[in-house]
Amino acid sequence: MIRFDRVTKRYGHRAVVDSVSLEVRKGGLCVLLGESGSGKSTLMRMVNRMVEPDAGRVMLDGTDIANVPPESLRHGIGYVIQSVGLFPHWRVADNIATVPRLLGWDAARVASRVDALLQLVGLPPEDFRARYPHELSGGQAQRIGLARALAADPPVLLMDEPFSALDPGIRRGLQVALRRIHAETAKTILFVTHDVEEALLLADELAVMQDGRLLAHGRPAEVLRRDADPVVKRLFGEATLAFHRLGTLRAANAARPASATQPAEAQLPILPPDSNLKQALMLMLESGTDQVALPGGATLHLSDILAAA
Amino acid sequence: MAQARPATLARDLATRAPPPPVPREATAAALLAALAASLPFLLGWLSIAANRLVSPRPVSLPLHGGTGLGAACFVLGCLGVALLARRRSLLPWAEVTAGLALLALLATLGLGAGAALDGGARLARAAPGAGFWLAALSLLLSAGCCAAGRDAAREGEAAGATPTRFLAVAVPGIVLLVASGVLDPLSLMREAASRGPELQAALWRHALLAAGALALAGLVAVPLSLLALRRPRLEAALMALANGLQVVPSIALFGLLMAPLAGLAAVWPALRGWGIGGIGAAPAVIGISAYLLLPLAAGLLSGLRQAPADILDAARGQGMGEGAILRHIRLPLGAGAMLGGLRTAAVQAVGLATLAALVGAGGLGAIVFQGIGQLAADLILLGVLPVVGLSLCIDAALAAAQAALAPAGRRG
Amino acid sequence: MRLPRRAVPLLAQAAAFLLALWAAPHLGALWGAPFPDVQRPVWDQRGWFALLGAHLMLSVGAVVIAAALGLGGGILATRGQGRLRPLLDALFALAQSVPPIAAIALALPLLGFGAAPTMLALVLYACLPVLRGTVAGLDGVAPAVLDAARGTGMGAARVLWQVELPLAAPVILSGLRVAVVLSIATAAVGAMAGAECLGTPIVVGLANNNGAYVLQGGLFTAWLALLADRALALLAR
Repeated sequence: MIRFDRVTKRYGHRAVVDSVSLEVRKGGLCVLLGESGSGKSTLMRMVNRMVEPDAGRVMLDGTDIANVPPESLRHGIGYVIQSVGLFPHWRVADNIATVPRLLGWDAARVASRVDALLQLVGLPPEDFRARYPHELSGGQAQRIGLARALAADPPVLLMDEPFSALDPGIRRGLQVALRRIHAETAKTILFVTHDVEEALLLADELAVMQDGRLLAHGRPAEVLRRDADPVVKRLFGEATLAFHRLGTLRAANAARPASATQPAEAQLPILPPDSNLKQALMLMLESGTDQVALPGGATLHLSDILAAA
Repeated sequence: MAQARPATLARDLATRAPPPPVPREATAAALLAALAASLPFLLGWLSIAANRLVSPRPVSLPLHGGTGLGAACFVLGCLGVALLARRRSLLPWAEVTAGLALLALLATLGLGAGAALDGGARLARAAPGAGFWLAALSLLLSAGCCAAGRDAAREGEAAGATPTRFLAVAVPGIVLLVASGVLDPLSLMREAASRGPELQAALWRHALLAAGALALAGLVAVPLSLLALRRPRLEAALMALANGLQVVPSIALFGLLMAPLAGLAAVWPALRGWGIGGIGAAPAVIGISAYLLLPLAAGLLSGLRQAPADILDAARGQGMGEGAILRHIRLPLGAGAMLGGLRTAAVQAVGLATLAALVGAGGLGAIVFQGIGQLAADLILLGVLPVVGLSLCIDAALAAAQAALAPAGRRG
Repeated sequence: MRLPRRAVPLLAQAAAFLLALWAAPHLGALWGAPFPDVQRPVWDQRGWFALLGAHLMLSVGAVVIAAALGLGGGILATRGQGRLRPLLDALFALAQSVPPIAAIALALPLLGFGAAPTMLALVLYACLPVLRGTVAGLDGVAPAVLDAARGTGMGAARVLWQVELPLAAPVILSGLRVAVVLSIATAAVGAMAGAECLGTPIVVGLANNNGAYVLQGGLFTAWLALLADRALALLAR
């Protein structure tokens, strides 16, 4: 869906993005992870031509975006930034309706779309429609920012550290909401963050950047494998790399199927469906056992976790 | 599990481009310098009138050794400004060069006027042409551009685009040029020579009026601001009064003050002995000081509030009294902002003192209004140029002081 | 915009002002009281309404032109990479250190005398507060809002018109307010240069030692300035 082809961006003599090639598949949620100044935001902003690459090209759904006028390109790409950037002189409904109005939708269609989006991001429309941005909390404002980005149903969403300025509890809520919205709408999302936990929680694919270069790219479990690049190890914290890796592996894949010879013991703690190995390990530590049961009747032993890690 | 929580990477700040090799100010400074260099040649250096009564007409610069050298120096100076401004570290020198170019411009004008009048009628008068005035303005603005860039790089915002270095070169240079007699052929200097004592007296009187008004306003503003610091209602009243006074046109306020003061003097004739009456210095000084209340009080209050709340809290926690806090914390931290208020007030005082002549208080305004009454351009300039010079110098001196104080204030 | 309740006292004040102008020629006793030596305390050389009209033509006309120039200049200066900004900074610093009276007096020998040059000087000087307000207002728009506006695919003109100018409007209006007050006040000084306005009685009174003329001219000029200031303050809300 989005393909970067050896793109480079220089400011002065310094290459902020240095010959990066990367492909994000349709419907995927790709997280760009890196320290400050690693070039991840610059790379993302090339997709909607907020930044023009000095070399290389960016393809969107097979078209070179250099041939698409920036304005019409941006109408088809949702854009969410850390500081939200709601228009302070417009009500919430007007903010959400920005792009539909630019596209010339009629009033009735705009109004029903606004209400549907408010519901999608988990805010009651009748309560929020007429508010001004200064009457919103930080988390509410970012939910509106997300709704504005989704307004014209763009196939692609760019998100630049959207949750970094929020308190941990509210951030967690928005992360869960984003996963849900991603599952419901199947948008292609490029998500920039410096927060390792956030990246692992959200990512289908992970791209790690450092000094303008792409260090690693792939499914989280691949990026965090044992022989990972030393810089990647340092980024994730060498002491906790293995622990993070457990978080990327599904418990069901490592478990032993239920067997007739060894009936599942009734008193084993039961892991929720779709859990990963990190959660399984936490449950073992919590309940003081070395095995847990899975909903299907399978069991997971501590040794299975060690083998998988 | 002590380290289970992963390191959260530092917040990604917007990647800033490194400063471009050519400063942003270079374009504007070079444009203005080029304008300055070409304007005298396009619009004329000089205008000559056969006598006081006929209107002057532009004449070309008489070229001989002196004027040729002067004009060459001037054009080279302008070129120097444009070239030096291309390096950030050289911006102060570009500003100084603009000052030198102004001096060359003036010297060329004086030499040219001498040559043009040479052998002519004694009544003929030479005045600077439009090209000269606009070139001088362009140089001043070009120096301001250089100052803006220089300040952003090193000295912070306090001095803004005030061309302190330019003035530091130009003002002593102009004094030297005047003293050397190069400018004597200009009608303006002839006017100054014939009115020498009058001009000098007016200058002193002007400075005295401005200083008196500043002192009076300070006497009102300082105690009120200190009191208002802890009394929001007094502060609101003070600022409402100061803001309201600002709206009243100065000429109207002086006029309105005449009536009550004349009345007072009529009731107590003894007051006349102190110079208080409907006409004269009293309404002028009171009127001017009314306008200075706003900049002084606003500067003082913002200065007193510069100290952040946590520092004040810490000071109180260590047992400092309000007096000690004022002396050791509020005043040193707020000195820059207070000086800023004083700067605005002082410049306004000099300007408003010009209008004081309307109510018979004298000063440089008396010469200006005499000139306006007689439609005599030279006379107007003779009054206005010292006012402008005084304002520019006071502003630049206080800006330099403010810039010197600012880092000390920020260290807190 | 419907007539808000706050506008009522302003309209009452304006009515009182016009009433006072109409009544002024009949209040000889009032004007003469503080000046017992003055023979003819009532200003009768020219109608008050004619003077008011001329004053408004001069100052409001100057502000309208100055507003257009200042707004246009401010918008231009904030586009692109801001290469014109240092020039503006230098201009503002200069305007701050040269008093308006001096600037206008300097302009007179260059521009000539009378109403038209006074107007030109007023335009040039009233430009600066508008320009400064425009630049400050446009600078004050949060970068995140601009980023978001461009990110939603608004064109440059639409961003300016729908986002930047509405958000900068309060600051621009306060600059305009300064320009109006400055212009009304300075137009009175224009009477010295031969422009007929509410300042004329002041100038004539000062020349003929007639304090009553000065009182009347001063009162009405100050009143007009206060009214204009109030009206623009109301508009800025």
